[in-house]
Amino acid sequence: MSPVRYVDYTRAVFAAQGFPPYEWLVNGPPPFTPFDKALEDCRVALLSTGGFYVRGKQDPFDPEKNDMGFREIPGDIDVSDLAVSHNYYDHSDADRDVNCVFPIERLRELEAEGYIGELAPVNYTIMGRIFRRTALVNETAHEIAEGLKRQEADVFFLVPA
Amino acid sequence: MGLIARVVEESGIPTISASSARDITGLVKPPRSVFVNFPLGHTTGKPFDRDLQTRIIKDAFEALRFIRDPGAIVDLPYQWQEGDDSWERAMNREAEGG
Repeated sequence: MSPVRYVDYTRAVFAAQGFPPYEWLVNGPPPFTPFDKALEDCRVALLSTGGFYVRGKQDPFDPEKNDMGFREIPGDIDVSDLAVSHNYYDHSDADRDVNCVFPIERLRELEAEGYIGELAPVNYTIMGRIFRRTALVNETAHEIAEGLKRQEADVFFLVPA
Repeated sequence: MGLIARVVEESGIPTISASSARDITGLVKPPRSVFVNFPLGHTTGKPFDRDLQTRIIKDAFEALRFIRDPGAIVDLPYQWQEGDDSWERAMNREAEGG
């Protein structure tokens, strides 16, 4: 196994398009909150960067870049009501089965099985390709963190597309 | 996305992140990650493969339970195509600019 070098890949793509090299963020050690609860007692909330929105009820994302918004997806959504607005990953499989990057049906099954306590009533989607890091942290991330507190989520599962 | 995981973790809610870009995850350092070596767009599995999707998710929750080292990345054993890494090699050739 030799995992794809996406940092180099992005630099090569940017260079080919005449852009200056993209400087990836290099973070220090992350914050850490011990997980000490039984999973079967946990309310789990899901986030995907796959650009999903509820067709006809929510606005699509700007599929190019820097859409700082997020969409709140009800835990009991009919997945056939979801659509994708995102130009920077191949979502042909996610269009057919959202669970490739937004595994909401699998989490409902794990709730029914008793493996997790329950899926949160509100789950989140964003569009990746956000280059405004400060706004992402200070606005989008904090609003999502507040939403998770409000609905008393115990665990947050994040899935990039 | 790793930045959101860090903010939420800091607010007191434990997070577990999936990843299909191991190098980027190593730089951004979400609190806990599982690496799935699949082409982008399939982080929690192939379409309509319910068993595979469920195994990946359960592996992620196992990692949530057992990771004690902040920033740890657990490599999951799944292969996109058994014994065939041609998709990785093709992407890495592009990463080299050719």
